[in-house]
Amino acid sequence: MGEVGLSAYLMVGAVLFVCGVVCMATKRNGIGVLMGVELVLNGANVNFVAFSRYTSLGLDGQTTALFVIVLAAAEAAVALAIALNFYNNHLTIDVDRGNELQG
Amino acid sequence: MDFEALFKQFLSGDVAQQASILRSLTIFLPELVLSCSIVLMLVARLISLDRIIPTHWFALLGGMGSFVIVLFQFWQFGESQTVPVEVFTGLAIHDEFSIFFRGFLTFFLVFVIALTVLTGIPDDEDAPDFYSLLTGAVIGMMLMSSANHLLMLFIGIEMASVPSYAMTGFLKGKRRSSEAALKFVVYGAGAAGVMLFGISLLTGILGTAQFSELAPRFQAVFVNHAGMQDPATRCVALALLMIAVGFAFKLSLVPFHFWCPDAFHGAPAEVGGFLSVGSKAAAFALLVRLTTSLAGDGTGALSQLSLSCGLGLGLIAIATTTFGNLAAYSQQNIKRMLAYSTIAHAGYMLMAVSALLVLQSVQSDLVFQGNHQENGPRAMEGLLYYLCVYLFMNLGAFAIVALIRNQTYSEEIDDYKGLAQQAPVLAICMAICMFSLVGIPPLGGFYGKAFIFASVYEATNVHWFMWIVLGAGGLNTVISLFYYLRVAKTMCIDTRPADAVPVTMVASSSPALYVMLVSGMVVFLGIIIDPLSKVALHAAHALF
Repeated sequence: MGEVGLSAYLMVGAVLFVCGVVCMATKRNGIGVLMGVELVLNGANVNFVAFSRYTSLGLDGQTTALFVIVLAAAEAAVALAIALNFYNNHLTIDVDRGNELQG
Repeated sequence: MDFEALFKQFLSGDVAQQASILRSLTIFLPELVLSCSIVLMLVARLISLDRIIPTHWFALLGGMGSFVIVLFQFWQFGESQTVPVEVFTGLAIHDEFSIFFRGFLTFFLVFVIALTVLTGIPDDEDAPDFYSLLTGAVIGMMLMSSANHLLMLFIGIEMASVPSYAMTGFLKGKRRSSEAALKFVVYGAGAAGVMLFGISLLTGILGTAQFSELAPRFQAVFVNHAGMQDPATRCVALALLMIAVGFAFKLSLVPFHFWCPDAFHGAPAEVGGFLSVGSKAAAFALLVRLTTSLAGDGTGALSQLSLSCGLGLGLIAIATTTFGNLAAYSQQNIKRMLAYSTIAHAGYMLMAVSALLVLQSVQSDLVFQGNHQENGPRAMEGLLYYLCVYLFMNLGAFAIVALIRNQTYSEEIDDYKGLAQQAPVLAICMAICMFSLVGIPPLGGFYGKAFIFASVYEATNVHWFMWIVLGAGGLNTVISLFYYLRVAKTMCIDTRPADAVPVTMVASSSPALYVMLVSGMVVFLGIIIDPLSKVALHAAHALF
């Protein structure tokens, strides 16, 4: 089986990134926005692992990917807690409904 | 080296390696002390020890202990060694610059904890949570200031941001607080994601994540390339732009500043004060580290890179100060006004970084360099001095807001009318902080601004664009006069309405003493400049 090159992996990473950014920009549901963030982080992870395999980056890329997975989990935990807190006060997690702070 | 070889090496217990780990741990002691204090706080609640010993003592002792260790390291650094040490296999670096910022941050932590004790924002039930988050965020900021690896950069930023999100939403039942936290976390997570993608591209193209390796690799990759037609150049430009998005979010620079006024408005004033000083200082430390290592020795392609980064940051600095000052002008809520003022000040400080990069770009030009050897460190000295003054004047302003809120339950500027008649201490200290934020001569803020503008003036020798930056800085200082003085005038000259809630503040009470100490430091730093500026210059030299 022929091996796929670096650019194929980078393409997957870039597609994930763009999907994530579009998701962050268009979703009105708070949880949907956070899912977009996860896509972006995983797109970066694909890049890291691919670079680690094909360039002189070495193990650094893989360790970074592992750390990013942990950090993403921590961030998701805090973000979900904040979303829940927002729901308790507003009875919705529609991010457009947070419009009391303006000016 | 593959994973198995590394693992075997670790198991076989190489003596030199163990010694280097031990040495790294010794250098890491301030962070370890803070981590221990977090564990102690949480365990103390588990065994109900916090009913006997209030939690803030653990946090306060941890902060003080950590600060003392940093001071000791500073003294030791001057005595025995002068070479920067890379710790934890090059992930972090230990030099005067990192010692300066770790000292700054632990000192600031102690002051913030003291403020929260005086204003009582976390009640006894929530205190372990609040202080763990606060201390955890400070550890993240300390990692940011000593980062030497792109992974460490990201970990530091996340460790500082995630607790900040939670602290913003700390007042659980308040609609505004939860809204502020949601906006903060959505923007923050998005910016962090984009930044990480930029980091992945940069590491991939340069083949390294080590800060010290970035410049040589850049030089090697771009030795034959020129112009934006080349895909590699475009890719690096894109990566740098994405990393800049992450920094712009942390520093609340235009156009990524939207979270800042909302987060500060919804969060308790103490948290606002913490975010405005702590995370800004750490992000500036990191930005300076990254950009100076990218600029390297300023030869060949690096000179071009350094100059374009410097000019780009200069443009953002102009937009940020101008926007911050104009938006602050129409605010009715004092916390919102201070948030826009924070944005404006981030712009002033960014001017120093911009000047530094522009000056670095001609570093290798010997004809020019002859009598300008000291310019780079001077620009850094200005930034560090500004940050130190900023710590006191901004913390003072937020502390007074918190103290008045505890009595009147209001944060509107109109409700501050005539406070000088009821609580002269608060009104006078607030006036000192406001005058210093403008930059009026005998106060510390003036010298911070003067140092920065002087280095921007030096940079005008390199590129004409810096004249525009300098002009914008001067013009903005004049604009900012109006809204800062409006607060001082409202408090000191207007008469207090008869139906207003009375505010009492005895001059010998501990909150009053705290406020007087902080604003006294603002005056002190305006009169006696030499010691701090020498330390700042010393720390700045570590980077060059």
